[in-house]
Amino acid sequence: MNDVYILGIESSCDETSVSIVKNGCEEIATVVLSQIDTHANYGGVVPEIASRMHVENITIVVEECLSRAQMTMDEITAIAVTYGPGLIGSLLIGVVAASTLAYIFHKPLVPVHHIAGHIYANNLEKKMEFPLIALVVSGGHTDLIYMKDNYCFSKIGGTLDDAVGEAYDKVARVASIPYPGGPLVDKLSYEGVDAYPLPLPLDDDSYNFSFSGLKSAVINLVHNEEQRGNTVNKADLACSFQSRVVEILTKKTMRALKEYDVKNLIVAGGVAANSGIRNRLKELCQEQSVNLTVPSLKYCTDNAAMIATAGYFAYNLGRRAGYDLKALATTKLN
Amino acid sequence: MRSLLIDTSSFFMHVAVLEDKNVLYHFKEEIKMDMASRIVPVIEEAFQNLSFKIEDIDKIFVVNGPGSFTGIRVGVTAAKMIAWALKKDIITLSSLEFLATTSVDKKYHIPAIDARRGYVYAGVYDSELNCILKDQYILYTELSSYFEEGTIISHDNLENSVRPKEDIVKIVEKHADDAPLNPHEVKPNYLKLTEAEEKKLAGAQ
Repeated sequence: MNDVYILGIESSCDETSVSIVKNGCEEIATVVLSQIDTHANYGGVVPEIASRMHVENITIVVEECLSRAQMTMDEITAIAVTYGPGLIGSLLIGVVAASTLAYIFHKPLVPVHHIAGHIYANNLEKKMEFPLIALVVSGGHTDLIYMKDNYCFSKIGGTLDDAVGEAYDKVARVASIPYPGGPLVDKLSYEGVDAYPLPLPLDDDSYNFSFSGLKSAVINLVHNEEQRGNTVNKADLACSFQSRVVEILTKKTMRALKEYDVKNLIVAGGVAANSGIRNRLKELCQEQSVNLTVPSLKYCTDNAAMIATAGYFAYNLGRRAGYDLKALATTKLN
Repeated sequence: MRSLLIDTSSFFMHVAVLEDKNVLYHFKEEIKMDMASRIVPVIEEAFQNLSFKIEDIDKIFVVNGPGSFTGIRVGVTAAKMIAWALKKDIITLSSLEFLATTSVDKKYHIPAIDARRGYVYAGVYDSELNCILKDQYILYTELSSYFEEGTIISHDNLENSVRPKEDIVKIVEKHADDAPLNPHEVKPNYLKLTEAEEKKLAGAQ
């Protein structure tokens, strides 16, 4: 069988990324042009600025990726692109770029859901074994997904309000921790103790999550302390908040593994970089002989290697898009 | 010389193919939604009825603004990607100058795009496309000194405006000898900062 080289394009938020992956498991080259320094000036991603930067950088990133891979477009089997979900203006740049490339070079165009990309990032670490449970944690998602086989996604639970990454960012803002809040809260949590009595959110029999209550509890706590003239210990707050988040995520994940009689767990999404979640899951999975895969840090944040990897499996399943592929701000994983 | 022209800066999409002064194909259609999902299919269709392929064009002309931010990005992304992929010369055009190719009776051609809150993106040109007032983001009323001797050309419902009837040959001829750009450097000309940048600047002052 011939080797399949997928060129992936990702532009759903504030990273312009292009990658070439061989046979859905071997990364040949990846370029990620992050805009984080620009958006940090505004305390968060500004969609219009993100779109402007994508259009300025897109051809440069494609060329740089091919050059690092020492490949030409002729050697590429197909082009995979994130069509959603994400910031619509950002997505459009990747989708138009990918459609144009596919047309000019007569290549199949493969549509990839951003979350499928995060999930398949794990295949770059270790061949994914099914059935599995995927815990997807990011700025836009907190989902538990059962996968019987490749591209069979069945959602067993998800967040009812804020995504976990969103909760991290909001808590960081309230506690005056600079952007990007998530990684800094994670880091700070090791310098403090679990001293603040925060609630364990949505501790019920479902597989759903809710972080707005926990977030409100943090906001109230900070305001109350301020009114009393006390300063909040940021490290302790970070530790208390992170402890609750880790506890509820791991508790429901481990229960899902048991109930679905699954021995493979993968973690996906930007918040998979959170060391508290990674470390606790490692302990629990070891205890319960669950085969855990967590992407390396470079595959947790948005990148095109994961899109090219998911694109390989989508390509093998015959999934194709026309040059009229639509970018979608919201779209169900399927 | 074979040229491909792309304009997605307003809700009218233009895709045209020229061979010297002959317009071989001209798609002009009002596209209310999904400019992005139409651009490549329209380009593909353009070459389906021609005796040569997209690989055989010499130059790409792309309208890079001002206009709809998202719209401009669609055309610019497609055009720069084609220019990069096929190693073709690429030249950017002003959306306002393109509108100004519309023939009118009066001395001044005043292309204008509604930018809301009383503002427009506008310029002033003569019938030879010489620029009298450069393209800018300006209060509509500030253009009034040109109104008596000029005609407002706009897709939008601006007072006393006429609908554009762009002359593709005219704009391409005017810019045929412009120095081509490196595709990597081709970017939209918004003529306006983002709101976030404006607020930040205002705050800094």
